[in-house]
Amino acid sequence: MSRLAARWRALALGILCVALGAVAFAYASAFFVAGGARWSVPAFIVGACLAMGALMALGAGRDGGPGLLWLPILVTVSIVAAALLLAWALPGDGEPLWLGLPRRAAIVLYGAGLLPMFVLPSVYALTFDRWTLRSGDVERVRAARAAMLSHDPPPDETGRV
Amino acid sequence: MIELSLLQAALPPLTRPTIVAIGVAYFVVIAAIGVWATRRTRTASDFFVAGRGIGLFALTMAAMSATVSGFTFIGGPGFVYASGFGAMFLVLPAALTTTMTTWILAKRLRLLGELRGLLTIPDAIGARYRSPAAQGLAGVAILIAVIGYLATNLLALGIVVDAIFSTGLGWGIWIGMAVTLAYTAAGGMVAGVYTDLFQGTLMTVASALVFAFALDAGGGLAAMSRAIASADAMFLEPWGRMSPLAAMSLYFVFGVGAVAQPHVAHKFYMLRDPRRLKWYPLLMTVALLMALLLYFGIGLSVRSLVSSGALEPLAKPDDATPAFLLAFAPTILSGLVFAGVAAAIMSTVNSFMSIGAAAVTHDVPVALGRRLRHELAVGRLATVGISVLAATIAQVSGTLVAFLGIFGWGLFASTLVPALAIGLNWRGATRTGAIASIATGLLMTLALESVAWFGVYAFPTGVTISGASLATSCLVFFGVSWAGRRTAASTLDADVGLIMDI
Repeated sequence: MSRLAARWRALALGILCVALGAVAFAYASAFFVAGGARWSVPAFIVGACLAMGALMALGAGRDGGPGLLWLPILVTVSIVAAALLLAWALPGDGEPLWLGLPRRAAIVLYGAGLLPMFVLPSVYALTFDRWTLRSGDVERVRAARAAMLSHDPPPDETGRV
Repeated sequence: MIELSLLQAALPPLTRPTIVAIGVAYFVVIAAIGVWATRRTRTASDFFVAGRGIGLFALTMAAMSATVSGFTFIGGPGFVYASGFGAMFLVLPAALTTTMTTWILAKRLRLLGELRGLLTIPDAIGARYRSPAAQGLAGVAILIAVIGYLATNLLALGIVVDAIFSTGLGWGIWIGMAVTLAYTAAGGMVAGVYTDLFQGTLMTVASALVFAFALDAGGGLAAMSRAIASADAMFLEPWGRMSPLAAMSLYFVFGVGAVAQPHVAHKFYMLRDPRRLKWYPLLMTVALLMALLLYFGIGLSVRSLVSSGALEPLAKPDDATPAFLLAFAPTILSGLVFAGVAAAIMSTVNSFMSIGAAAVTHDVPVALGRRLRHELAVGRLATVGISVLAATIAQVSGTLVAFLGIFGWGLFASTLVPALAIGLNWRGATRTGAIASIATGLLMTLALESVAWFGVYAFPTGVTISGASLATSCLVFFGVSWAGRRTAASTLDADVGLIMDI
């Protein structure tokens, strides 16, 4: 693994720890203040979104780093977090309807639900051959499997009956 | 929690000729697929991982069918009806979870499965940490969750069979179990995957059609919003009738927790060509979106119809789907949806039967240093044993079955997310960290859910035990692994390292 990739991975793990810590603190606050402290909701929103983004960055890409995939991941997670934070922060009185729903509900459904729904799957497909899995990778794994079998036959996993 | 709503309410009688005929036709198709699959099941690999020979579309529909249970069709709309827009936070993470799961787990799990000839999810944990103990502990956690989930799902299936065929609940449980068991025990995952393919197609088609009828009955989304707002202003608040913390807790548990649900992740082993994963997130997202349309559509539509006086207020939230279908949809569509409910439950039950049997016949023996010689035959016997046990619990345990069903998703998440999903992507993870995190997730979930269920302590509003256990087990995993970081390299085999670097 390259040093850059190792740093990416360390960064993703660090963000994941901080995000889980934010979630844990938000939960803890609910034991002292009914419904949680005022800051617990934005902390939870940011924590949950960062945790999902960090998990994606941890697994995305190859050779231990996400490469340029960090950019769509960051953008998507930011959109989701921003939508949820907006829904939490905006006033609820006299909301107009946006695409058939009250403004804040529309921001949640369309911003945190539908908008990101096809972004990352499309990025995944478009970058798959370059950033995720090449045909040479599969051949390396099959060669490793063949080498293992030649040295140490595995238990009878596929033995016919 | 998935089937709990079904437990609390019998469905209204659905014994109408068209619905019964569709129900019979559905079971005939399932039986035919089961017979066909049984002839193709000759090895343990066929039985547990469908011979690693399925295509992309079959993988997608099988994974979607395992993810979506009867809750989506009955309990979900009832949840929306009762809790308002906040119920959407259970399904909103689906916008991210498919790609997240594919990035963090699918590629490495699929390649590791081929490299080591793995059959089960705990197998991957055992291989990652070179630890039969971690594998066995993961197997035990899965087995506990599976028994609870299975019992709950079988009770729900019994209720659906009873509603369609008027069999009585007891017979409904055993008939539903017997049909699912027959194709699972005989045809293993080959039968499971191809029945899932049929069941998943049925679910998505039925859900999309019902969504169109729901929008039409309510007069469109804007008309429904206005009708609801005039009667119940809180319903369409961003968090509905839930607290923001409770809604976000759902988002967290069903978001982060989705990456390590074994009944779904297990299916990655079965894909014939790992490079077909390229289109999996896109296909899976479309399939999930279609299957979830009903969840949102009926919940919202029924609330607006009740608000405008077009429908009587429901006696129970879970009446939302039957009440809507029987009043506003053609009978043939109602039949398709109720067959879809049975399909959703049976496809989930089938997956649980398989991974439960694998835990008994494979993971626990490996942890004890023994490997069974006739895994196929013993696997079939274990499937029968687990199913009979779960059906018995479903029939005789009363409200205890609801307790068992509560913690399934959370137990999977808190025990497998750190050790499996993070561990396969982090060389610094240690064997001790994996065992500590699995034990933490297992004990914390069981202990706290027991405390809450038996009324020893009431947790504050918004604090879900699943979420707290998941966050804690991950932090324990990081902490213990960091403390023992000097041993990390010694528990990682070179071939596993190769997979982690790809």
